[in-house]
Amino acid sequence: MDATLDAKGLMCPMPIVQLAKKVKELKSGQVLELLVDDVGAKEDVPAWCSRTGHQLMGVEEEGKLLKFYIKIK
Amino acid sequence: MAKICMVVSEGTFDKAYMPLIMANTAAASGDEVHIFYSFFGTKLVTKKANPKLPGMFRLFTGMFQKKMKAVGIGNYMETFKQAQELGVNFYACSTTMDLMGVKKEDLLPNVKVLGAAAFLKLAVESEATLFIG
Repeated sequence: MDATLDAKGLMCPMPIVQLAKKVKELKSGQVLELLVDDVGAKEDVPAWCSRTGHQLMGVEEEGKLLKFYIKIK
Repeated sequence: MAKICMVVSEGTFDKAYMPLIMANTAAASGDEVHIFYSFFGTKLVTKKANPKLPGMFRLFTGMFQKKMKAVGIGNYMETFKQAQELGVNFYACSTTMDLMGVKKEDLLPNVKVLGAAAFLKLAVESEATLFIG
């Protein structure tokens, strides 16, 4: 893991807007952990990854909390 | 990466935020976004923009705003500015500006005045066009 973005408490579109901003700070191949509890994020983050080309390596669910692991393209 | 156009014809709080939320998400996904404001939507791209919920719900605008703030969504002007920073393009309909009494100097910075033909050109070149109210 190279960085963590804590987007807990934020709702659509803010997790995605902040994710896009954060990804710009990272280098290709680095892995970002995204923490989010917006229910919409479950579908939004995979959709965003598939559209932007960043690789979604995995998701973990802990109750309402979602942890996404994204490899920067 | 797609090109997306939106048309906004109403000026209420809900119609003000929806295109901005869509646009900010699209721009954050690498899309090119163009939003055309017409009729009552035109006032949303002026310096005096302060949209309220429609009808009787108008009284609850502040409460709504507060709830949105709690989940990270700023006030209208902050959200508009964020869209501009993300590269979203804004246009005011030239004809309705006249009808609504909006002058060029009333427009927010970087809002372009456009006619229907020019906007339609953008729309036919787009992968998606959304009509907001």
